[in-house]
Amino acid sequence: MNDRRMLHLNAFLMSTGHHEASWRLPESDPYANTDVRHFQRLAQTAERGRLDSIFFADSPVLWGDVGRRPAGSLEPTVLLTAIAAATTRIGLIATASTTYNDPFNLARRFASVDHVSGGRAGWNVVTTAGPAAARNFGLDDQPAHRDRYERAAEFLQVAYQLWDSWDDDAAHADKTAGIWADQEKVRPIDHVGTHFRVAGPLNLPRSPQGRPLIVQAGSSEDGKDLAARYAEAVFTAQQTLADAQGFYADLKRRTASVGRDPDTLKILPGIVPVIADTEIEARRREQELDDLIRPEYARAQLAQQLRVRPEDLPLDRQLPADLPDEDEIEGAKSRYTLIVELGRREKLTVRQLIGRLGGGRGHRTFSGTPEQVADAITDWFDAGAADGFNIMPAVLPSGLEAFVDHVVPLLVRRGLFRAEYTGTTLREHYGLARPANGYADLPSQAVTA
Amino acid sequence: MNERQLKLNLFIYPGGHHEAAWRRPDSSIERVLDIGYYQDLARRAEDEKLDAVFLADGPSLADNIRYASRFRLEPFTWLAGIAAVTSRIGLIGTASTTYLEPYNAARLFASLDHLSKGRAGWNIVTTGAPDAAYNFGLDGHPVHAERYDRAREFVDVVTQLWDSWEDEALVADRASGVYADPGLIHEIDHVGRHFRVRGPLNTPRTPQGRPVYVQAGSSEDGRSFAASYAEAVFTAHQTLDSAQEFYGDIKRRAAGLGRDPAQLLVLPGISPYIGSTEAEARALKQELDELTQPAYSLHLLRRLLGVDLSGHDLDAPFPRELVALDGDRAESSRSRLVVDIVDRERPTIRQLLHRFAGARGHWVVAGTPEQVADRMTEWFTQGAADGFNVMPPWLTGGFDVFAEQVLPILRRRGLFREEYTGSTLRDHYGLPRPTSGYTAPVARERNLA
Repeated sequence: MNDRRMLHLNAFLMSTGHHEASWRLPESDPYANTDVRHFQRLAQTAERGRLDSIFFADSPVLWGDVGRRPAGSLEPTVLLTAIAAATTRIGLIATASTTYNDPFNLARRFASVDHVSGGRAGWNVVTTAGPAAARNFGLDDQPAHRDRYERAAEFLQVAYQLWDSWDDDAAHADKTAGIWADQEKVRPIDHVGTHFRVAGPLNLPRSPQGRPLIVQAGSSEDGKDLAARYAEAVFTAQQTLADAQGFYADLKRRTASVGRDPDTLKILPGIVPVIADTEIEARRREQELDDLIRPEYARAQLAQQLRVRPEDLPLDRQLPADLPDEDEIEGAKSRYTLIVELGRREKLTVRQLIGRLGGGRGHRTFSGTPEQVADAITDWFDAGAADGFNIMPAVLPSGLEAFVDHVVPLLVRRGLFRAEYTGTTLREHYGLARPANGYADLPSQAVTA
Repeated sequence: MNERQLKLNLFIYPGGHHEAAWRRPDSSIERVLDIGYYQDLARRAEDEKLDAVFLADGPSLADNIRYASRFRLEPFTWLAGIAAVTSRIGLIGTASTTYLEPYNAARLFASLDHLSKGRAGWNIVTTGAPDAAYNFGLDGHPVHAERYDRAREFVDVVTQLWDSWEDEALVADRASGVYADPGLIHEIDHVGRHFRVRGPLNTPRTPQGRPVYVQAGSSEDGRSFAASYAEAVFTAHQTLDSAQEFYGDIKRRAAGLGRDPAQLLVLPGISPYIGSTEAEARALKQELDELTQPAYSLHLLRRLLGVDLSGHDLDAPFPRELVALDGDRAESSRSRLVVDIVDRERPTIRQLLHRFAGARGHWVVAGTPEQVADRMTEWFTQGAADGFNVMPPWLTGGFDVFAEQVLPILRRRGLFREEYTGSTLRDHYGLPRPTSGYTAPVARERNLA
């Protein structure tokens, strides 16, 4: 082990792979989405590669086009707990919405995953864009972007207080004296805010990591501000080195400006690696997948993302000039801008743009040999664009196996990635300290980040 | 082999059901936050071919944890961890209709049913503990009738969400690229007094179609609710008469609603104290009772009856005249049960505390293995029970004794299975797999109307 900065690698798992047509390959199991064994094996593969963590996206709505690609999945905290039983080291990051959950229930569930996994839980905090989810929770439309982020910040404040509501040594189970816990080391939080009133305490002792790792994945202005204050890892979609460097510098600056050590926030852009023995073969593999996309459906989804009608997007023409500005968009702002800029910058036809998005929904696709993929990762890492990567295999399980077996060893040889785990918790993998209990030395109720 | 067989669940309470059992030298109190402890227990219960394990729950911390480990295992995650290491035993989790959103609850249980391949059950509660309200922004606990009104609508919504994917919805045709038939995935468009939910669920229909519906309140509202919705009822009775009255009443109510009474299982709790002689069994109970802390027991009693007896002579007769059940206590079947004990047996305060310490009002049986088996057989054959929630006073030893000494007798009598004959909880309970309401012709017509 050397002293140099090390990469953090997270495997972003999704049914049969991130390419929307991956389920159509003969090697894929189209029913994988509800098969816990599929995901347990993927987690074991990631753990064999000594990756930091695995991750599931989620939204409380049936999203995507279920007619065309796998949709409908298992709830990630529950799925990750079942995966915890089949693994021992790898971190387990679940997405959950601050807009459509109660803080008591969710803080508790994440504390529980942390207990059950022995300190491997992470929470990707999302505010959930779109009116469709709102309609599953009694609303006609999503709350405004700003309101969702304000609620998210307060939600996190409540969660921190609940996680800290038990001192680490509160329960000591003295059989002789008959004392199970020190009542005075467990205290109500009595939070009263704009969105929540929560008395507490949590009904579960403090978890192994103290607090689960906080991840954030929105790259809008509000999203970056939330990340700077609370996040310990950020997943982001960046298409070019220049964009990624700009995002990296901006977010580290924001983190420093709220008084945090910028190194306590790890930035992980997504990359969809398509790996083969030769570059030509890798590109052929990517093309083969793109050819399985049904363009008429993909166009309908793109039209929805861009707030236009499908007929406004002829397949063999570039994007129309008169698309709305990001400011006019209420949900998924940063992804909207990314798609429009990708199409314009590379002068892609709608058909080409659909192929690029089909691979990684806006994340960077990279086809090549293991050396080339390792180079692509090293270049961004060394150029101030990333602290690591969110690995999004186009096809699962084969894409993850290829990455673990052929790319990871190169990164280890270059001294950029661990050969063995040095810790047992997710925080230890990410090089983050276990948070002190905010109540430990504070008489006041004001426990914050 | 008798046709009618006992249904037996292992009701898991972290430190055992007797409130002071954790103080025994051989208790597993050191492991109560270790998932391995519960996984071992569940595997043990599965080896014994029990129907299910069950976790009680409430979204708040008991306000006296000094003398007893009254934290809560979060059921979804804990059961997912158990599901991963078992293959047959049912997994029944408690979830509150008062403090969850139906979309989230439907998703969590559907996920548990998928990852356990059809072993999930939902113990539907409205949450009795008034403290929970303050964890969810409310000024006070909603009244009994209002909670049950919400519960009915909640269960209707969850049922529709579970049915929203018909069984045939997944097509997974690689050649045509059709993943699912959107015509078989339905928006539920529920608009009611408590909820508006669009649907569909974001998880395909589960192995059991719907997880098993369990209910555990025996108040008037609870009975009426159970007759409509429950497939199994957990209930607390001290005497054969009381259990028979309940059994007859609930079956009659179910029949009155056009249901097959055999598809509503009545499962009283039983906490067995087993010795080689009856005297030895009673001594075991006595030994645990003497480990109780009166301050704690009095606190629990105050919660149930609304009277504070601290400062009273514990060996004086229980002052019945001080008890006047009002508000929610007037509706609570458990409060009523305690008053009935007082009226029937005229105990001293200490005797009542000990009586209650055993299993919080559930049936405590102390005797030889034969005697315990006899009492269970009596209730089973005399119209008082279809099976039992087995509540070992201490864990894990209390369950081992039951499994090793009582189960063989019940098997010899042909009353309990030697082997599993099915793989889902519905199979174990002898319940049919429900058809989606959208698939049944009548409902389909209604849906198209």
